[in-house]
Amino acid sequence: MAADGVTLAHGLGGAKDLPISPELAIAGATAALVISFTVLAVAWRTPRYDAATSGRPAPALITAVVESAGWHLAWRVVGFAIFLYAAMAAVFGEDLAINPVLGIFYVWWWVGLVPLSLLFGPVWKAISPVRTINAGFARLSGSDPERGLFEYPAWLGHWPASVGLFAFVWLELVYPYSTELGPVRLWCAAYVAVMLVGGALFGNVFYERADPFEVYSTLVSRLSVWGRRGDLLVVRSPLANLDTTPVRPGLVAVVAVLFGSTAFDSFADSSRWVRFKQSSSVSPYLLDNLALLGFCVGVGVIFAVGCVATGLGDDLRRVDLPNQFAHSIVPIIVGYIAAHYLSYLVEVGWQTLIYASDPFSNGSNWFGTADLPLFTWLSYHPTTLANIKVIAVVLGHVLGVIAAHERAVRILPPRHQLTGQLPLLFAMIAFTAGGLYLLFAA
Amino acid sequence: MRRTLAITALLLSALTLATACGEDEAPTPGGTEPEVIDVVFEGDTVSPSGERVEVSRGQEVQLAITADAPGEIHVHSDPEQELEYAEGTTTVTIQGIDQPGTVDVESHDLDKVIVQLEVS
Repeated sequence: MAADGVTLAHGLGGAKDLPISPELAIAGATAALVISFTVLAVAWRTPRYDAATSGRPAPALITAVVESAGWHLAWRVVGFAIFLYAAMAAVFGEDLAINPVLGIFYVWWWVGLVPLSLLFGPVWKAISPVRTINAGFARLSGSDPERGLFEYPAWLGHWPASVGLFAFVWLELVYPYSTELGPVRLWCAAYVAVMLVGGALFGNVFYERADPFEVYSTLVSRLSVWGRRGDLLVVRSPLANLDTTPVRPGLVAVVAVLFGSTAFDSFADSSRWVRFKQSSSVSPYLLDNLALLGFCVGVGVIFAVGCVATGLGDDLRRVDLPNQFAHSIVPIIVGYIAAHYLSYLVEVGWQTLIYASDPFSNGSNWFGTADLPLFTWLSYHPTTLANIKVIAVVLGHVLGVIAAHERAVRILPPRHQLTGQLPLLFAMIAFTAGGLYLLFAA
Repeated sequence: MRRTLAITALLLSALTLATACGEDEAPTPGGTEPEVIDVVFEGDTVSPSGERVEVSRGQEVQLAITADAPGEIHVHSDPEQELEYAEGTTTVTIQGIDQPGTVDVESHDLDKVIVQLEVS
């Protein structure tokens, strides 16, 4: 990265991954296709996961630690310390590409939350500085952080979170000055402000439903083995855990933004799109805006159509179906995010650790990480990287198809259970094949 | 019966995947000729404009530039390379890039991608 910090609307990090080979993309798509219909043909015919009974209680020791006040406090302190550090680097640091706040914002926070939530459960909920501030206010005023002035309207659901997620991906992928300090600072300030006002108005339920990062992190944590049955900490299979995702308005919008934006990120790097943009008389900025919106809306529409194109019983309204099935897209998102961001997370995330020792760009070495070598093993093993990518995408697809199948046999009337799944299955195959195509073409 | 079917299908798809998965190749030894790309700047356009060019690891890339105004080119490798060119014809050299990946070569002044180098 240039020493003068000029990155020219280029996003963080230098080189991008090589495209995967066509053979690998085709093999991945074929495997996804075969497995999809196999699941449909041979999987169980009666619902298998029940949130009220599934899972075993976590080992007593783990439960004791996780439920202890010290554990909660420790993670609040860790989250708040990183928050204060990032705020310090953002406010007092130099506007250079080596300012660690950029990597903390785009890599640690946005991408890092996914593997952390997958391994450890709802991580952002535990460390969220906005929850901590809200709890601090509540303590000072002697009120209850769970309660706000108003009841959070149920119809609002996750819609605000989907808007917040879109605002993030817009900044990262479309806004030309995304790697300058000013815009990142402004975005974060707006995020914190909205979160604090929301928390004051509606209490902690606002964070659960409307904080884009908490919604994202908690959604991914449904694929972890850690779950709750009532208040009890349980260990579940990821599929059984995923099935417990609460169905709320706007859930489809959340998954559509997550998948659509990642696909757009692949697409935006492709030579075809770059050539089209640069030869067009329309402003490339406008084209990028339209394309990002188009990808998100397109994913949402394809998915919704795939969900509603089924026969129904009397107990279910057609408009409720997309949110009923939205959780089944989560494994596909996680698989595709792993494929798309793995090398970025590991390599630029590592680089951020190196930069973290020098928040004011004056050559200091606060944490002793400044002289660590770059980590580039994945980039130097592009074939291994490509194999991991395709396996992640196919694995995500398999889990997604099974999750959708379970939901179909639970809520659809018996005579529509198999045929009703078909349109959704085609939508999922389209997402997976499309994702593989983008990994191949970009 | 169902179980047999499922296992067969899974094995088949795993096999398809496994056969398509390649292994990392050792880097090709150096000594390759530099890749030469003709670049023309005219007003606010550049040619080529966003094409892919495949190069080997460590292979130099020479840009034979014809420009109606001087300017600067950024190569988004790690570390980044910055190259200046004059009005008229100039040849600039992009140092061989060792790390595999897709590297954008951009015109700083036009904010346009000239080529994307696929280094492998």
